[in-house]
Amino acid sequence: MKDEQLREKRLVYYQEDVEQIEKLLQEFLKLSNAKAIFLIDKEGHLVSQEGATETMHTETLSALVAGSFAATKEMARMLGESEFSVMFHQGKRDHIHISLVSDRAISAIVFDEQTTVGMVNLYAKELIVKLEKIFSVASKRINQEHKMEEGYSESVQDRLDDMFKE
Amino acid sequence: MQINYARKEISCKLVYYGPGMSGKTTNLEIIHEKVPDQHKGEMTSIATEGDRTLFFDFLPLDLGQVRGMTTKFQLYTVPGQVYYASTRKLVLQGADGVIFVADSSADKIEENLESLRDLQANLAEYGVNIEQIPLVIQWNKRDLPNALPVEELEKKVNLFNAVTTEAVAAMGEGVLSTLKIAAGLILDRLNAKEPGAAPSAAAPRPVKAEEPKKEIFVARVNADMISKTYFNQYCQTQYRLSSRTDDVEDFKKFSVDEKKRLLESLLNHALLLQDAKKRGVAATKEEIGKQLSVFARRFTKKEELDAYLVRRKLSMDNLTNEATKNVIIAKMISDVIPDLSDRVKITEAEVKEYYANHKDRFDGKPIGEVKDELVARVKAKRKKSLLDEFFQILREQAAIEVFEQNLS
Ligand SMILES: Nc1nc2c(ncn2[C@@H]2O[C@H](COP(=O)(O)OP(=O)(O)O)[C@@H](O)[C@H]2O)c(=O)[nH]1
Repeated sequence: MKDEQLREKRLVYYQEDVEQIEKLLQEFLKLSNAKAIFLIDKEGHLVSQEGATETMHTETLSALVAGSFAATKEMARMLGESEFSVMFHQGKRDHIHISLVSDRAISAIVFDEQTTVGMVNLYAKELIVKLEKIFSVASKRINQEHKMEEGYSESVQDRLDDMFKE
Repeated sequence: MQINYARKEISCKLVYYGPGMSGKTTNLEIIHEKVPDQHKGEMTSIATEGDRTLFFDFLPLDLGQVRGMTTKFQLYTVPGQVYYASTRKLVLQGADGVIFVADSSADKIEENLESLRDLQANLAEYGVNIEQIPLVIQWNKRDLPNALPVEELEKKVNLFNAVTTEAVAAMGEGVLSTLKIAAGLILDRLNAKEPGAAPSAAAPRPVKAEEPKKEIFVARVNADMISKTYFNQYCQTQYRLSSRTDDVEDFKKFSVDEKKRLLESLLNHALLLQDAKKRGVAATKEEIGKQLSVFARRFTKKEELDAYLVRRKLSMDNLTNEATKNVIIAKMISDVIPDLSDRVKITEAEVKEYYANHKDRFDGKPIGEVKDELVARVKAKRKKSLLDEFFQILREQAAIEVFEQNLS
């Protein structure tokens, strides 16, 4: 699917979409018994997270997941695949299951011996179909106008100044 | 960029790009060092070999709430080494802005240029035009004894008219100001552009303060005014034809007298074009297209042509105008000027006379051996004098004014 929207750089997530997404993620955790789940856009920005995420550096994790996904895409290309849709890293205690959600986001699921990769895979597939539906509805709404408050850009620059002075 | 209304959050991706060892990681380290803990995450360096960046360095900045939106910047660096080309491309995916860290050293010009072109090509693969993404060039390592003057760097490296800053990143100088400018460029767009609009509809990049544009003219030919901008472009082309340099400011090297001579030929062109108009001689679309494609053949890729235009400060319209003029002038010279071709028929006597006067040019070769060349030369000379005659007549009837004070 070569949709113009895929190149759209400004990804917008509205309240109602994110509420639906959160519900789905919670439901997934209950069903699969996984520890935590992150939904990350392909640029590495976190969209939503659920579960035991407090001890994780979520921003960095998001950047790394998106980065490694992009890297495997390069790998896939060399093998004549357009993209690998699922990646799995096995650790001693914790494992991570990464999959592509439509063409614009990535889910990263962290789990341990409370469940199995098979269970995670099964429920992840279901979840992804549902998430894709939400995205497809949301992407049609993307042309909505959203303006920041007047002077937003200047205020951000002032904040940067303050941060460096502190 | 992600705008998340549920989290009331804006998250932007800013990539530090540039040749290896130019100071990208140093920029990030300084930011990490100066920013208080509550505003930053961990700095992650994905490096395995020695301490050079292999994958990317990553530093998340959290500015906290600004006007109701939690504002975040994800800072990335890319590896500069040539063999990590694919990683560089990956990191650029979804970048909202780029800070190009250039090494000011005299011997790094080529590396800077190469990296900048690499950036242009990689962005293009994502369908992003380098001239449209917020781009700041940081002239780093200003402290080095062999640092080139900024004016020279601007001329040689700033191919895309980007906003530039100066820095000594290792000492922390210029790091914040560069970041601030990039942040401003990125966020200014939020209110300037419809989110769904095509990238080409982006707001024009704010460039360094330019004096308000007021058209200055160098001459008037009947009803046509010749602008200084156009004249400078013309001089520039002429200079390049004779010297083969490629510097946008070269026209300044012409003396006033040389400029006057160049203006003379521009006046002739203007007269010729006006005469062509009266006679109904025009260029067809095909002819213009052909002329343009001859020109475009010099470039192997569209991007190269684009870069050329930027460097020369030309637009596609300029090129088309120029092509149109060339077509019309060529037509006038070959077809319309009254029986010009007939009158360039030359006699044996003229050839002999030319040979006698220019014997030294033919290395003493007998006239029979150089006949063809002789005829061509005599014809060219005749043609030139007929043209001059033609211009002379046109000029006598025209109202021409030259504003000499505007030439220099
Ligand atoms: N003299 C000087 N050295 C600098 C400056 N900024 C960075 N460096 C040095 O340049 C080298 C490469 O810097 P680094 O940030 O690792 O480059 P990167 O490959 O672009 O990430 C390091 O030794 C830095 O200390 C500067 O402003 N002046």
